[in-house]
Amino acid sequence: MLAPEPSDNPIGASIANGAQLAVDELNADGGIGGADVEISVKDTKEDPATGRSRYQELTVNEGVDVTTGVFTSEVLLNIMDDIAQQQTLHMTAGAATPEASARVAENYEQYKYHFRTGPTNARHLGQNMVDFVEAKSGDLGWESVAVLVEDYAWTEPVSAVLDEKLGDTGVEVAMSQRYASGTENFGPVYDEVENSGADAAFVAMAHTGTPAVVQWASQQRPFEFGGIHVPMQLPSYYEATDGAVNYGVTQNSATPQSEVTDKTVPFAENYNEEFGSYPVYTGYIAYDAVHQFASVAEEVGSVASDDLVSGLEESSYTGTAGTIEYYGPDDQFAHDVVYEEGKVWPIFMQWQDGNQEVIYPDDLATADYQTPPWV
Amino acid sequence: MSDDTLGEDAAVEQSSPATGRSLPARYVAGLIGLALLAVLPVPSLLGVESVTLFGTVTITFGLSSYQLLQVAGAFYFAMFAMSWDVVSGYTGQISFGHGFFFALGGYTSALLNLTYGVAPLAAIPAGVAVAALGGVVIGVPALRLRGPYLSLVTLVAPQVLLSVFILFSGTFGGELGLSSPDNLLGVGLGNPVLVYYIAFALFVAILAVLLAVTRSSAGAVFTAIREDEDAVAAAGLNPAKFKTFAFVLSAAVGGLAGAVLVHTPVGNPQPSQLLATQVSIEVIIAAILGGMGTIVGAAIGGLIVYLLPEYLNTVEYVVPVLDAPVSEIDFLLFAVIALVLLFVMPGGVLRAALRIARDRLSDRRGEGVAADGGRRARTPVEQVRERWRSAVERTLGRGPDRERRTTDGRRSDGRRADDRDANRGHENGGDTDEH
Amino acid sequence: MGLNLLAVAAVGGAGAPAAILQSGVSNIVVNGLIISALYAVVAIGFTLIFGVGGVLNLAHGASITVGAFGAYYVARVFGMGAWAGLVAGVLVAAAFGAALYLAMIRRMEDEPIMVMILTLVTAVAVEQFVLTVEGSQPKAIPALVGGVTRVAGTNLQHNLVVVFAVSWAIILALFLFVNYTDAGKALIATSMSRKGAALVGIESDRVNLATWVIAGALAGLAGVFLGSFQTAHWAMGRAPLVLSFTIVVLGGVGSIKGSVVGAYLIGFLEVITTRVFDPRLQTLVPLVVLLLVLLVKPEGLFGRELAEA
Repeated sequence: MLAPEPSDNPIGASIANGAQLAVDELNADGGIGGADVEISVKDTKEDPATGRSRYQELTVNEGVDVTTGVFTSEVLLNIMDDIAQQQTLHMTAGAATPEASARVAENYEQYKYHFRTGPTNARHLGQNMVDFVEAKSGDLGWESVAVLVEDYAWTEPVSAVLDEKLGDTGVEVAMSQRYASGTENFGPVYDEVENSGADAAFVAMAHTGTPAVVQWASQQRPFEFGGIHVPMQLPSYYEATDGAVNYGVTQNSATPQSEVTDKTVPFAENYNEEFGSYPVYTGYIAYDAVHQFASVAEEVGSVASDDLVSGLEESSYTGTAGTIEYYGPDDQFAHDVVYEEGKVWPIFMQWQDGNQEVIYPDDLATADYQTPPWV
Repeated sequence: MSDDTLGEDAAVEQSSPATGRSLPARYVAGLIGLALLAVLPVPSLLGVESVTLFGTVTITFGLSSYQLLQVAGAFYFAMFAMSWDVVSGYTGQISFGHGFFFALGGYTSALLNLTYGVAPLAAIPAGVAVAALGGVVIGVPALRLRGPYLSLVTLVAPQVLLSVFILFSGTFGGELGLSSPDNLLGVGLGNPVLVYYIAFALFVAILAVLLAVTRSSAGAVFTAIREDEDAVAAAGLNPAKFKTFAFVLSAAVGGLAGAVLVHTPVGNPQPSQLLATQVSIEVIIAAILGGMGTIVGAAIGGLIVYLLPEYLNTVEYVVPVLDAPVSEIDFLLFAVIALVLLFVMPGGVLRAALRIARDRLSDRRGEGVAADGGRRARTPVEQVRERWRSAVERTLGRGPDRERRTTDGRRSDGRRADDRDANRGHENGGDTDEH
Repeated sequence: MGLNLLAVAAVGGAGAPAAILQSGVSNIVVNGLIISALYAVVAIGFTLIFGVGGVLNLAHGASITVGAFGAYYVARVFGMGAWAGLVAGVLVAAAFGAALYLAMIRRMEDEPIMVMILTLVTAVAVEQFVLTVEGSQPKAIPALVGGVTRVAGTNLQHNLVVVFAVSWAIILALFLFVNYTDAGKALIATSMSRKGAALVGIESDRVNLATWVIAGALAGLAGVFLGSFQTAHWAMGRAPLVLSFTIVVLGGVGSIKGSVVGAYLIGFLEVITTRVFDPRLQTLVPLVVLLLVLLVKPEGLFGRELAEA
């Protein structure tokens, strides 16, 4: 289990706690094949070097059967070679870079031990944003958007898809910018968005999201704000930003109230009962990863990595975030979770007065989109 | 054995009463230490890492594979620390940004391997060359600067490099760095013992070379520069030449360590490991706590500073007030521990330990401590402090320069003061015949 | 958050030249005026300590963080409002400055190198402490005054107007204090010659303590402002600290006037770089300026004339 700062970072805490919950359930149920499941959590500090060192600790030293977690793409890429060398199954729960699956596709024998239980890979994240705009831009009233993407590895495929396909949705792309990693002052970029006349900033942000949304709200910028904004997915985020996040829109794997599957809400409630807060998307994924691993291990009757790999390739498991299947070895996204309506199909939600309201897809929607009053 | 002679003057050492017939005790201790490090992996090599007696008591020998990798990482960090010591501990030019050189070596070698497929064995020398060039780039302009201004340049240099890496993140991987290049000679995770011995061999080689240089006449000049640069110039030697040499040597060694490190399973061409402020600070702490201006102290300090957080990382204890397990706040604890140690014994742990040992020894022999207390010279930290004080005074226009300024109307500042010194150095360096 | 050493406060990609012409100039002027005032407040504290004590306080950035989180706690966690937060931030940072001086610096005054190392390690410890307690997610500090007015094609936040006005009020007050009060003159005297100051009966210990307290308070103020119009996070003190180096080297050591001029040069350079050239150059430019000045003209642009006022 590799999680960034599991004691104080909600993303890391969700990975650790989601998996812990799954392990507790498994053990209450007799473990896997009668054997108790043990869990070991290590802190990556979101740093590739630390992540690699912790991965080595888990696999070389503790000899674990499966690893899961990893939020940052850079950390994942840095352990891919070690995964190959250790030949230990790894189920990613957080990092989105398609480079990991590209390596599986290119060099299957070496890298086949990597699976991405979630989220959908970054190209699919971009595709999901395009699908959202296509379906909802009329309801939202977005005729033109300014694309703002933070310059990190995970957003490169997102940018590529947006550049390629957003124009075909009928929405005008008034401006498109990848801004520097570590940006704190969004004044200049927002000036440009205003000048471009866009109705909304369509964003992909994880590391730099908080100053961006806080400055958008406090400066009452005359455009709407939405896309993939990872911190906004946190259930505690309204409080953390003093309400600045109100009216912001983000994609998410699930929210505590959304019935993505019939397991979603019970899991969120159990989690809240156990840990005193609701999980973020990594929690749903890590929980699903552990359960899927257990069901496959039961099925093939082994924890040998090669058996598990073929078992997972065949597996179709309905978890909390959807029905999880993996693309085959010959697919360009080998071993990534399948992105498809009816399988894993992320939701879009808006912050409305302290609540995360689902606005898309329509069958799961809990509220209508609201335009910020100052726009 | 007085602590001021520690590794500075072999001649004094030999005449010291403690040495007697055979090697001085601390040399023996050093060799035993190296021998222990050399046999550390043997138990895991033989596959007997622990033995259980009577079914209850388990005795663990040696280290686990993972721990071997950690110690290997520590060797590289100790090499960094030794390279810092050559320039800062000996010539007194305190570098606040030594990560600059590690990163030059590591990134050059990694990029050559990743982008052009150059084998590590060929890429590493290129990394060393680029790092050495970096030593010239920093070392030569630094000749004109002293005290706080030199420190500012060294403090800022790695940040400029990091900004460049972020600016061209397509090439350099930005804040989060590059992915790992090929392993040296293909030695990877599967072979921790070999990883360990490669690191150990390089560590011993660098230790030997740096000890040889610093104990040679060049080393004596380095030390003299730290104590009194003007005196060195007056003796007909060109301090600028030696200072540049120290910078380039230090940069090359640091670059070598960085370049080899990235080709091991414990190293990554990433800012957090090579370039971050944190790295440069840890190196300073390691060398000062180990004992500045000794090489050996820096090596020991480097090993400890690297392994301490690794150890803290295994501690399960949860700190009550912060409500965080020790393993997650290892760096905070490290910083606090370092702060306390720096404050309590700025001369270094090694020196303090030697002093205690010496006092015990002399007590046993019935010698008074005062016997060599009277001979005690200034520690390197004190000497650097002295130089700094005068540089600051000049910078601020205080002290003797202030008088000079009023008489000749010249403004006193860091640079001109240095120009004066540098010129003096050149004049004297050129006119050795006079002496 | 990533491990960004320096906050890159702007955005990639070249802006459309036409857009810059439209509202660019007023934008540059407004932003430059405000951000520079804030930089001046930070740099003055840094330069006073260097001038009076002869030491570089590398924990000056940590004071900014301490101030910002002091304000965050009072304003948000205890819910006492933005202005109470401002006062608290300033007081906490001033107390931090005093504590640093009394516990550590006073005993090391004649060892500038140890001061640099100790303050650097202190800064790291403070950062790590905040990271441990508050996590890496940035925190929002409420604006002192809400609302926006449109001026000359630019959205002017009222909050930033307050930041500007308060910064300048503090700068002017400090200037008057240093030049027209006995305590202030003692401070300048100490910065020129400690021996001389001692001869005329100035206790350098007390002057030093006062300097550290003032510098801490200034940094705390800047921290609250930065937190209120950007966000507060554990590494927020790094970029301003590095900018302070540049400003102080440009403006001359120990000079209030020089710091203000240096801050405005750097502030406008930064804003212009961001708007007109590539925004990603923003961190690099002040560093390069610093290196150039150090190597070419280390006495600063104005020598010491400015320093003595």
